Amino acid sequence: MSGPLEGLRAIEIGDRGEVAGKLLADAGVDVIRVEMPSGARSRSTGPFVGDEPDAASLHFAYLNTNKRGVTLNLADREGASLWGKLVANADIVIDSVGPGALDTLRIGYESLQSNRRLIWCSITPFGLNGPRRDWVTNDLVSMALGGPPMSTGYDDHDVPPIRSDGEHSLAMAGEYATIGIIAAVLQRDRGARGQLVDVSIHECVAGTTEGAFPNWEYNQALVQRQTGRHSAPNRTPPWQHVAADGEYSMAHGGGVPRSPQIWPRLLDWLEANDAVEDLRDPQYEEVNHSDPRATTEGRRHIIEVVGKLLEKLTADDGYRGGQAIHMPFAHVRRPEQNLDDPHWEDRGFWLSGEVPGHDEPVRYPGAPYRFTKSPVEFRRRAPLLGEHNTAIYGALGLDTDELTRLAKSGVI
Amino acid sequence: MPDSTDAGKPLPLDGVRICDFSWIVAGPQATRIFADLGAEVIKVENESHLDSMRMALRDPQGPPSFNRSGFYNNFHRNKLGITANLYHPEGKEVVERLIAQSDIVIENFSAGAFERMGYPYERLVEIKPDIIYLSLSGFGHIGRDSHHVTWGPTAAGVSGATAMSGLPDDEPAGWGYSYLDHTAGFYGAIALLMALYHRDQTGEGQHVDMAQVETGMVLGGVPMLDYQVNGRDYTRIGNRSRYPSIAPHGIYRCEGDDRWIAIVAETNEQWHDLCGVLGAPDLASDARFPNNAARVAEQDALDAAITELTRSREPHELMYALQARGVAAGVCQTMQDRMEIDPQLADRGFYRSAPHAELGEHRFEGFPMQFSNARWRIDRGAPQLGQDTMQVLTELLGYSEADVERLTAEAALL
Repeated sequence: MSGPLEGLRAIEIGDRGEVAGKLLADAGVDVIRVEMPSGARSRSTGPFVGDEPDAASLHFAYLNTNKRGVTLNLADREGASLWGKLVANADIVIDSVGPGALDTLRIGYESLQSNRRLIWCSITPFGLNGPRRDWVTNDLVSMALGGPPMSTGYDDHDVPPIRSDGEHSLAMAGEYATIGIIAAVLQRDRGARGQLVDVSIHECVAGTTEGAFPNWEYNQALVQRQTGRHSAPNRTPPWQHVAADGEYSMAHGGGVPRSPQIWPRLLDWLEANDAVEDLRDPQYEEVNHSDPRATTEGRRHIIEVVGKLLEKLTADDGYRGGQAIHMPFAHVRRPEQNLDDPHWEDRGFWLSGEVPGHDEPVRYPGAPYRFTKSPVEFRRRAPLLGEHNTAIYGALGLDTDELTRLAKSGVI
Repeated sequence: MPDSTDAGKPLPLDGVRICDFSWIVAGPQATRIFADLGAEVIKVENESHLDSMRMALRDPQGPPSFNRSGFYNNFHRNKLGITANLYHPEGKEVVERLIAQSDIVIENFSAGAFERMGYPYERLVEIKPDIIYLSLSGFGHIGRDSHHVTWGPTAAGVSGATAMSGLPDDEPAGWGYSYLDHTAGFYGAIALLMALYHRDQTGEGQHVDMAQVETGMVLGGVPMLDYQVNGRDYTRIGNRSRYPSIAPHGIYRCEGDDRWIAIVAETNEQWHDLCGVLGAPDLASDARFPNNAARVAEQDALDAAITELTRSREPHELMYALQARGVAAGVCQTMQDRMEIDPQLADRGFYRSAPHAELGEHRFEGFPMQFSNARWRIDRGAPQLGQDTMQVLTELLGYSEADVERLTAEAALL
């Protein structure tokens, strides 16, 4: 068994569908990444092994685990014919080349309906219709239009709204595309035919800004961005503090317990660190029973005192000390700081795998779901350019001479 | 409106039933996706452990009620709601009859809580042998820190998602909402769909355990590899682009109260077009900025020069002018912009309305894709507390109306 989706085959083409392809491939789908002979954009996107631009891209390595790879020039007539054969044998196509691009070459969804079981998932910046269908975007522009930056940034509004790093517009679209694809597969396997699934990156982002939506729809209020905490129509007290070791600590909600039973334990923790100040005054115990959304003087004072404690402690001590009394505090870690936390080893989260050009195996983040009966495995590293041309085109009936000829003429 | 062309198309997850114990945001986000796609999601609630989101963003002028949260309404549309008291033997009987007829059980309590209520996976299997059980907690049910308590920002903080947002020489900006509650919800829905496929192929259900923090860690995979391979610590980059290095690549102030536009010019042609639209031919020929590499090296000066030109421009007008020339540009849209102005979202029918018993007719965030042979739905608002108890118990679970009245009187359904 190699994942819950074993037995399905997908063809992935374009630069905006890597997340969906990875999620399917990691779950056991035989995903074939089709690249132009010049290579996918992410192959030339850093960081690179040893910071050498000619070496393997870690960006590509991460987003293409468990996929196989072929090269193919779709603008060529023979290339288009090979594409048709690949698609005829697939359950799923992930097409992020751009709205209408493959249709222009007559190798898009409209032209390839003979495979009635095919699920064709298009991932485009705005969807396949609408007045902005052909607008130019990248992650920054998609995030701006979708809304997260107007909820994210600093108390100081002279600083621009912030787009969080990590190509999140493509992450959200890839996650939603995976949902749409598997839903369509389930529908198909209950007797329906395959279909086109038209994912809009803009809609994926625009529908993922949480409180901004009900604040506007129900109260005609716009949320304001704030440093290191939730945006809100009105200013709220800080959650984030510089810890004694220069790292950052986060006290969710500020630091007043949501459950009054925790209050005495919080006082004991403060006192053990000579930081309780005047909080044993009964007036502060009352705050625990008040509406957490009402910022009273008492609440503000508790938050200040807890913040001062977090500034006295290392970020890890603040995190673990808070968690020991059931407070949802965090050490604001850089991603790589999790590599040393044994909790993730306990869960078997890491998948050990190769990176081309690097001698040691590395820890790849595994899947964020732990299937007890159909576990996700690291079956293969990301493909080298054209690595599986012989195997995959050979299986379509092309012999060695033909493959050599197609390679020489730049078709593959 | 797509509604008209959608009429008559099937709902892709019609026939799937979820017994839903989830609350707050992460679990409800996962089951919202299922409900939008046609699954029958039956949310089980309890007056003594209310979903606190029922109290979120209530209209302060309105009457006190558990049923007047617009926040809750948006995440529980299309779902049915029943009440059952898990600390009453007959309340447990109700829940077990429901599990016996469900494909999926989902909960996102703290690790161990559902087991203490009497429902470890082994018990669920006794009730329904091929049940799919998703537990979604902050740190998962396995591992030394599984008892840690988590809200969305906790998971963002620990995973690295907070640290990856903000200016390099300032503290993290983080995310201005519980992004990881939504991410965990998306991955929860993915996991359930995968488990359904596996069950349909093999007849085998399973326990799927999720840790919300892990859903944030998978978003930071590239920095994790960079650290291991190149020894590099992650550093923030603000709104700039490091991989690949592109400049200009930023968010710039416009005319108006807190109005901003994102602009990216990758090629020299786009750079010259940008300067043209900004009415600054001298900038295009500025010796400091001849090509992308030079613009990246002089990015502070570049951003300052661009800001001087954008600050007097109306953001939407500037966006249209830049897009007409093929330059990537987008207004930093507020919620008002998206709902009242954005012609793309309007054209695709993204926001759709449905009635709610107490809040009335309201719009909802739609589902971000269109299907050629299926539809998604916004049929009704969130259930009032216990709104569907009578219907579900009598029509699905084999109780009579008299049974329901007796169970209510005996506090089995509170």
